[in-house]
Amino acid sequence: MIGRGFARTVAGDLLRHWKHFAAASVGIILGVAALIFFLGLGLRVRDLLLVQVFPSEYLEVAPRSVDLDIFALRVDLGRDTLDSAALEELSAIPGVDAVYPKMRLIVPALASGGTSLFGAGMQTEIVADGIDPRLVTEDVGEAFHEVGGDPESPARPCRRDGDCSEGSYCDRPAGVCKPYIPVLVSPYVVELYNGAFRRAYGLPKINPDALRGLSFEMAFGASTFRPSESTVIRERMRLVGVSDKAIPLGVTLPLGHVRSLNAALGSPEAGERYHSAVLGVGAKEMLPAVVEAVEAAGLEVRDRGARRAALVTAVMMAVLGLVGVALITVAAAHIMHVFFLVVMVRRREIGLLRAVGARRGDIRNLLLAEAAVVGLVSGLVGSLAALTAAVVADGFAASRVPDFPFKPESFFAFPPWLFLSVIALAVGAAVVGALPSALRAAAGDPSDALAGR
Amino acid sequence: MIQLENVCRRYAGADTEVLRNLDLQVGRREFVSIVGRSGSGKTTLLNLIGGLDRAYEGLVQVEGRRLDELDDSELSAYRNLRVGQVFQAYHLLDHLTCRENVALAALFARGRERRDAAWARRRADEVLAGVGLPDAGGRAPSTLSGGERQRVAIARALFHRPAILLCDEPTGNLDTETGREVVELLLDLHLEEEVTIVAVTHDTAISAAGGRVLHLVDGRLEERGGAAG
Repeated sequence: MIGRGFARTVAGDLLRHWKHFAAASVGIILGVAALIFFLGLGLRVRDLLLVQVFPSEYLEVAPRSVDLDIFALRVDLGRDTLDSAALEELSAIPGVDAVYPKMRLIVPALASGGTSLFGAGMQTEIVADGIDPRLVTEDVGEAFHEVGGDPESPARPCRRDGDCSEGSYCDRPAGVCKPYIPVLVSPYVVELYNGAFRRAYGLPKINPDALRGLSFEMAFGASTFRPSESTVIRERMRLVGVSDKAIPLGVTLPLGHVRSLNAALGSPEAGERYHSAVLGVGAKEMLPAVVEAVEAAGLEVRDRGARRAALVTAVMMAVLGLVGVALITVAAAHIMHVFFLVVMVRRREIGLLRAVGARRGDIRNLLLAEAAVVGLVSGLVGSLAALTAAVVADGFAASRVPDFPFKPESFFAFPPWLFLSVIALAVGAAVVGALPSALRAAAGDPSDALAGR
Repeated sequence: MIQLENVCRRYAGADTEVLRNLDLQVGRREFVSIVGRSGSGKTTLLNLIGGLDRAYEGLVQVEGRRLDELDDSELSAYRNLRVGQVFQAYHLLDHLTCRENVALAALFARGRERRDAAWARRRADEVLAGVGLPDAGGRAPSTLSGGERQRVAIARALFHRPAILLCDEPTGNLDTETGREVVELLLDLHLEEEVTIVAVTHDTAISAAGGRVLHLVDGRLEERGGAAG
């Protein structure tokens, strides 16, 4: 039996027994709704944690620290830097798409400025590190780049900033134009400032976008804690963006510039020693294997939060998914019961269909098609219920839940594959539930069915 | 055309066989009436010939083919095309119209033409007109009288122009007058359509009309003669 006749027969049977099928579909609707709702919630939370809070496509690794605490002091017994050989070893790990070395500034630094933003100049000790500009190209474009002067071209003489081109300032003591050093700050700095710092000092809340273009001076090698023992290099910085790959507290400079500063103010070797490296791991599913290889190489993954977040969300999704699957499984058992009843009620009808030429497969397919339609309709209704519940939950969160860092507009992510796979699961559960009854109905002799045996 | 040899059939839990070493030969275009008391196995015999029951021993051969050697698909095709069955209880589906009931076999037909909805509709109307119900196509079976419902059941059995028509107490639920009309209809079909008919009945009108009357006694058939068809 194929074609329109088959479809009409299925539709007619469903309409005739709609009360039975409606009762059978309740469990599947609940299961589908729960599964989509919780998986949608889990996917969004996972995205928030892994992409925004702990960007896990990048894994920061550093030498494993071996510390010994002696009274108030902690003595570091392990190595604390990576050389070029270690970087090559990291780049050879399967799943690692790129290796971006990071280097800390190993000399003290003072930052001063901010009059345009705060109304008065500020000076503070500041820590800095350097990263490969390619690491943040996606975040801030080409604005964050290495700064290198052309040794052949003579520096332009100047007396004030206006004498220099865009992107440069006038180094008055030297009387020549110098390029601004592009710097990045972390969103944590902005969050910390807007959340606590500004309240303590009565300062205005700032828009992260307005920070771009802010310039300030840094004195490398200078400190308020102790007098400078070496040369102090003064340079002007320009904030070019906010990136979660920047140092959490401090400023991030182009790697080459930090390398030059460390070599000039520390030692030539200091310019060759990296303190950590960021691994680009394109495929998130490779993350566990990469972590394992990193640890086998005697290094440690620095952002353990990402690992914990990934684990927690994975466990959460698994548990919530299991709840939904359990509901659907119970629903399948219910479907089995309902189809057993339906087949009993339709026993003579099925016998008649066999008597006029229906094959066993026709009867089996007819009942399974009816089950599939029940599963499909239940899946669609369940999906709609999940979406409705998500909209209600988002509305509640928007109006009743206080703002917090990284609070999303929606707590749910519903990719198309989620609906397709859950609806397919619902159809599968309904078909599996109906299968024993369908096989039984198709198996007997028509004479038994017609006689009601 | 129909040949049964040494056929035995025992129902589960029953002490005795309902059919015991039964032999039957029915020729092409023959009208055979089988009579017997209730429970003597008349319906069982029709079910065996109609391919509705395969739990038997012995030989059941129709048009030269042993039914126990047909697979499910072949047996279904046999039931769909070669044999029409009229049941005592009509077995009409009340959620379908009379036309849809008559054309039910078209849903399971193998040929492209026979699956065509327009063809099935035309053929159903044609067969309904042939049994004297030209206007019943759109009506629900539940709105018809007993005699009319049995005519619809006969029309359904004739839908694919079967070579054999098996009738199980076709007048069993009808009053005398309506039963007589149904018997006349079967006789007309037998003569005009040249259909081989095997009818089991209590009705002497049918057995009187049939060319051969067989009595089913103790699981075996005995021939005692009958009126010419």
